Amino acid sequence: MAGAALEIVDLRKSFGGVTAVNGVSLALEPGRIYGLIGPNGSGKTTLFNCITGVERRDSGRILLDGARIDGLKPYQIAQRGVGRTFQVIRVFPELTALENLLVVTRGDHRAAQARALELLRFVKLEGLRDEYAGNLSYGQQKLVEFVRMLMREPSLVLLDEPAAGVNRTLLNDLLDAVRQLRDTGKTVLLVEHDMKVVMGLCETVFVLDHGEKIAEGPPGVIQADERVIEAYFGR
Amino acid sequence: MKRAGALALIALALAALAIYPAFATGYGVRAVLQIFMWIALAGSWNVISGLTGYVSFGHVAFFGMGAYTGGLLIAKTGWPWPLAALGGAAAAGLLALAIGGPCLRLRGPYFAIAMLGLNEVLRALVSYFEGLTGGGNGLSLPTLDATVPIYYAMGLTAAAVTAGTYLILSSRFGLRLMTIREDEVAAEAMGIDTFSHKLVAFLLSALGPGLAGALTARDQGYIEPLSVFPLATTITMIVMALFGGKGTVWGPVLGAAVLFIAQEMVWARYPYVHPLLFGAIIVAVVLAMPRGVLGLLQLKFRLPRTI
Repeated sequence: MAGAALEIVDLRKSFGGVTAVNGVSLALEPGRIYGLIGPNGSGKTTLFNCITGVERRDSGRILLDGARIDGLKPYQIAQRGVGRTFQVIRVFPELTALENLLVVTRGDHRAAQARALELLRFVKLEGLRDEYAGNLSYGQQKLVEFVRMLMREPSLVLLDEPAAGVNRTLLNDLLDAVRQLRDTGKTVLLVEHDMKVVMGLCETVFVLDHGEKIAEGPPGVIQADERVIEAYFGR
Repeated sequence: MKRAGALALIALALAALAIYPAFATGYGVRAVLQIFMWIALAGSWNVISGLTGYVSFGHVAFFGMGAYTGGLLIAKTGWPWPLAALGGAAAAGLLALAIGGPCLRLRGPYFAIAMLGLNEVLRALVSYFEGLTGGGNGLSLPTLDATVPIYYAMGLTAAAVTAGTYLILSSRFGLRLMTIREDEVAAEAMGIDTFSHKLVAFLLSALGPGLAGALTARDQGYIEPLSVFPLATTITMIVMALFGGKGTVWGPVLGAAVLFIAQEMVWARYPYVHPLLFGAIIVAVVLAMPRGVLGLLQLKFRLPRTI
């Protein structure tokens, strides 16, 4: 598909005898929010790790804005505009909230600091800018990780379970932030177990089961899909 | 104001150390020279291991490399010792670049063990190439009494390592080095080329020991494999940096000064208790204050890392 923000073609990855991703193809159009769901062990995180270069795919192609990124190192993929958050929070605990955001900036220090403070304000954390990230609450760390990823102005944003362990108020803030990203033209792909979040936020949902894509479509259609129901609840 | 005060204090200390040899006994000059050497070693180890978290258990390899390069340049080619010392630093830096390639791709304990191995390999090589290095018989340098000039050169080395650490720690390059220690996977996901950063830090951390090694070779006039590649030197610089506070500017300085003085006092009085006491300090530091003295103060009073 021409003009796809991200295109994955026949991606395969196995660990020993376990096939984690088995011939998945999908395409993301720019400026939309996509969901990736599936039971535990269905290959969601492995797919994320292949896109971001943390895992090497066995075969298949991954294209970002039409250019191959499979085979690149994680930092090269990040530099090409892929940002991600992790299932388990990975802030830099002994750096302050502000420093967490500053690490990737270069050049004009003042402009970088202004940009970082603006993002901290965006998630209402500017008052904690000089606190070590490790001392922040779980939800606050999640927000720091989220805005830290935005410092590079990624064009594609991968979120691994953004709603997990986050209270309602914070969750609504996060979801608003994700919609704002979409409105600024970024493409979002999120893995999420909370169906309410997926159904309320995503425009298209991909369903993985045993490493294969078994369904793709708008949330309403996916919810009624028999193969999806079977994958989740058994026959 | 605070900054001006700190600068004044540093200037005062440097001035006192600069005029010290005019008043001190020979023993006093040697003792401070030794402290300078330990500051350079502990401070350099801090740059790679304190900042990136890649614990080097063979950092004395760079010291030995500097000692043999400097020693050979003086003994075989007749270079003046200050130039030979710079040669020693360059050789240590080249060694770091050469072995950093494979070794810095290893994580956690594997890097530590690889560095330990490197040191043993170097020691074996120096012993083997007898024709050049004198092997186990050692290498004698032409006689020269240069204790006071070497005192200044070693002092400059220690000052340069400390100032360099300050510059790194107050820069975004320093922040990026620390992200490697904090979470290397997240650092890569943020677009940080962690390998290049580690390699630069490793190179920088080899220069100080290379210089110190060459200066020590000149100062002692005689080196042998066992005297310049001892594991104990690596352990000592690690303990000094840990005691003072790894990841800080002044931690290695404090650790080197305090532990060296303590060691000298105990060494003089109770030779047999000395290793025991040193071991006890290691255990106490690791258990009671893994961040070291300054690390603890820094956390407690929210001080900047550049203390």
